[in-house]
Amino acid sequence: MIAMTHAGYVAAGWIGTAVLLGGYAWHVVRRGRKLSRQVPASERRWS
Amino acid sequence: MTTTLPPRTTTGPAEGAAPPVAAGTGSPATRVLGIGALVSSALLVLYGLVISPADAEMGDSVRLMYLHVPAATYLYVGCFFTTIASGLWLWKRTPGWDALAEAGAEVALVFSVVTLGAGSLWGRPTWGTYWTWDARLTSTAVLVAMLVGYLALRRLELDPAARSTRAAVLGLLLVPNVIVVNRSVEWWRGLHQGETISRIDPTIDGSMLTALMVGFLALGLVFAWLMVHRFRVAWLEQQADRFDLDEALALRRAEAVDATTSTDTAKGTA
Repeated sequence: MIAMTHAGYVAAGWIGTAVLLGGYAWHVVRRGRKLSRQVPASERRWS
Repeated sequence: MTTTLPPRTTTGPAEGAAPPVAAGTGSPATRVLGIGALVSSALLVLYGLVISPADAEMGDSVRLMYLHVPAATYLYVGCFFTTIASGLWLWKRTPGWDALAEAGAEVALVFSVVTLGAGSLWGRPTWGTYWTWDARLTSTAVLVAMLVGYLALRRLELDPAARSTRAAVLGLLLVPNVIVVNRSVEWWRGLHQGETISRIDPTIDGSMLTALMVGFLALGLVFAWLMVHRFRVAWLEQQADRFDLDEALALRRAEAVDATTSTDTAKGTA
């Protein structure tokens, strides 16, 4: 790993994936929190 | 007379009590799933970037395979959820199937971006190009276009049931296209490599295979976590729409009662 070939492509792929998945997860959680304030707790069967 | 509906928020804190943590789409099970996803993702970084050796021909760019191949697999799984749930929605008309179809398509679209992104970055040093109109890549692009179209259809201002039905018809076409994507490397010889790990004798080094399996585990747990949360978001959207409709109907009824009362009062006065 110290002398990695194609390091730029590998870094871009791994960092991009982490940012995308992390960002999407954050977006979904925020959307869920916002929506759950508009719906009675009885309709949230998982809580 | 004016009628005001009670506020819909039912989770407000009691007088003097500490405000609760905002209730969202989480539950004890998703917390366990989330911890599993984080731990396995850390393992994937360890195996994929440290333990796994560089490939003799492709060098370190092979490390993108540990993201690309699992992401493509879960893209297929998301499409599978959407097609099955779309069929069940058309048959049963149960809102839960509609929510599952929407969740599957959106999460599949996110995984398609990972698949194409990691694949393009892997292709540049390996093939000398980020993109080529190879059968696998072209059929995947068609699949992505279908997913975008499906999600766009769901955002149209239509009657919710009609919108879900139209989206479900498109959703039914996803798995047939996944089959074309999957078999494209066998049906049309192109630049993209054929099967590597699904063969009886996998043509991949042992430690690379381990890293790839860790990739399947990590991205599988991330996929599952996202699916559960996204399904619950879709469910909450349906419920919020229903409560909006209930409120609107209650207001209209209250206005009608007001109008009748005013007319009766006016007649009595006259």
